[in-house]
Amino acid sequence: MLQVRDLESGYGPMQVLWKPGLEVKAGTVTSLLGPNGAGKSTLLGTVFGSVPPWGGTVVYEGKEITREPTHKKVQLGMALVPEGKHLFPNMTVEENLYMGAYLKRAEAHREESLEQVYELFPRLKERRRQMAGLLSGGEQQMVTVGRSLMTKPKLIMLDEPSQGLAPLLVELMFETIRKMKDDIGLTILLVEQNADASLEAADYVYVMHEGTIKAEGTPDQIKASDDIREAFLGM
Amino acid sequence: MKNQVTKYYPMLPVLAAYAALFLIGRNMSGMWQLVAMLLFYCALGQAFNIFLGMTGYVDFGYVAFMGVGTYGMALAISRLAHIEGLGAGIIVIGFVLAVLMSTMLSIAVGAVALRLRGAYFAIATIGVNEGFRFLIEGARIWNGSEGIIFTAQLNQILGREAASALATFWADLFVLIIAVAAALVTLIYMRSKIGYALTALREDEDAAKVMGINVTKFKIIAFITSASFAGLVGASSWALKTPYVFPPEVFEIHYTIEAIIIVLLGGAGTLLGPLVGGLIYGISKYYLSIFIPGFQLLIFAPIIIVIIVVFPEGVVGMLKAKTRNTAAGRFIV
Repeated sequence: MLQVRDLESGYGPMQVLWKPGLEVKAGTVTSLLGPNGAGKSTLLGTVFGSVPPWGGTVVYEGKEITREPTHKKVQLGMALVPEGKHLFPNMTVEENLYMGAYLKRAEAHREESLEQVYELFPRLKERRRQMAGLLSGGEQQMVTVGRSLMTKPKLIMLDEPSQGLAPLLVELMFETIRKMKDDIGLTILLVEQNADASLEAADYVYVMHEGTIKAEGTPDQIKASDDIREAFLGM
Repeated sequence: MKNQVTKYYPMLPVLAAYAALFLIGRNMSGMWQLVAMLLFYCALGQAFNIFLGMTGYVDFGYVAFMGVGTYGMALAISRLAHIEGLGAGIIVIGFVLAVLMSTMLSIAVGAVALRLRGAYFAIATIGVNEGFRFLIEGARIWNGSEGIIFTAQLNQILGREAASALATFWADLFVLIIAVAAALVTLIYMRSKIGYALTALREDEDAAKVMGINVTKFKIIAFITSASFAGLVGASSWALKTPYVFPPEVFEIHYTIEAIIIVLLGGAGTLLGPLVGGLIYGISKYYLSIFIPGFQLLIFAPIIIVIIVVFPEGVVGMLKAKTRNTAAGRFIV
């Protein structure tokens, strides 16, 4: 569904991505692991278009979309759940979710998407009339994920969804990821520092370090390799 | 259908306020001059609000659009006066030219500056009005620093009496119409998908992008709309009232600052905000200049401090929060 080849990008004069390549197969959870500063978020940003690419290609559903603007990519069914909580604090939970269905393509399925989000996060249904800014951190993260689902994506890229959450909520988040794959049929590209949980959830894993892919394999292969675990994952 | 009409209820208080202003000005002796000034500030606020209020971007060079609008009207009258039979049609041409010129300038500025975000945009726009002024003076465009004086042409086309009526009454009425039109456009934007896109990008540009909103496009739409209204304000409140333009006067940065104060005082991004802000600002400035002449500029600083401390959301923003979910709240937007 998504192929990334020799991607290069960075900020100002500083190059962050040194030609990493990866593939995300339709209907799977692909996990991108690696330490701080490895370039994981930059990779997602470059694929999504919020960081301008310097070189390389991004192919999505057989089409080269490397330099398409972000809003076109969303139109094509790509979604990014950004790191940190980018919510509209002065709007209610439901208004925030509706904002996600901004595009015509998503607007047509607005009510069913909303039902889907509420099914995934029953908590949000209880809180739907509350201002998003008054929610707990975990609930805000749910709204962020929910809002991305409202764009009716086929591929959803999650940037550190469990960051800053209590252990119980981390578990819930990974449970949600599983449901998004199995029940909704989404393809997922997951960036995480929580290696344990991430290896559990993934079908395929890439390990990133210093802007390149250092290793890849099924979760079992990664777990079996002491070198990879010690060198990059600190496990 | 009912829904379609109720959507535009918030226009009622706006129309009522402008009608009241008009009636006070016409029927109370000696009030028209004050009303004209208030109309100018309200119109400037309404126009600027479409950009500053709806996108959250601060354009310090905003007065440049008003300036080129003034030039649009001045050029139309001074260069086309020799054509026979144009009559009052020359004013229409002037307005069209004002909109065209301010739109063109806004596209040129926007195409470059709107790629920058937040504070960087504000910094980039600081020099626009000064730059344009020096361009006109230095390159001797449109008579350079000598400006354009078109009193004679205006008298020749319209006759002395009509020209005087234009300056003392019609020009202000045009400003009123422009202010109402700007308010209407603001409401139409608010009630359409454009408004949602602008709200999203004002609150969190990254989140807006993630939702598939083409942020640059919507910023440019708001910028051009706002700039063309500024051009109209310049054309009527300046060029038609005082039939001359000099670059240092029409590109004076303090109009930008006044516009920022009006919008923030009233409530950025609200429909009624610029109206309320314009009235408060205009009235206090007018009476200060009578009671302690020369000190009226001093009110800038205290007003800004009061806004930040007492109502960070502006007067209307505060009212809006208080009347949320009440009957009155339907009209306060």
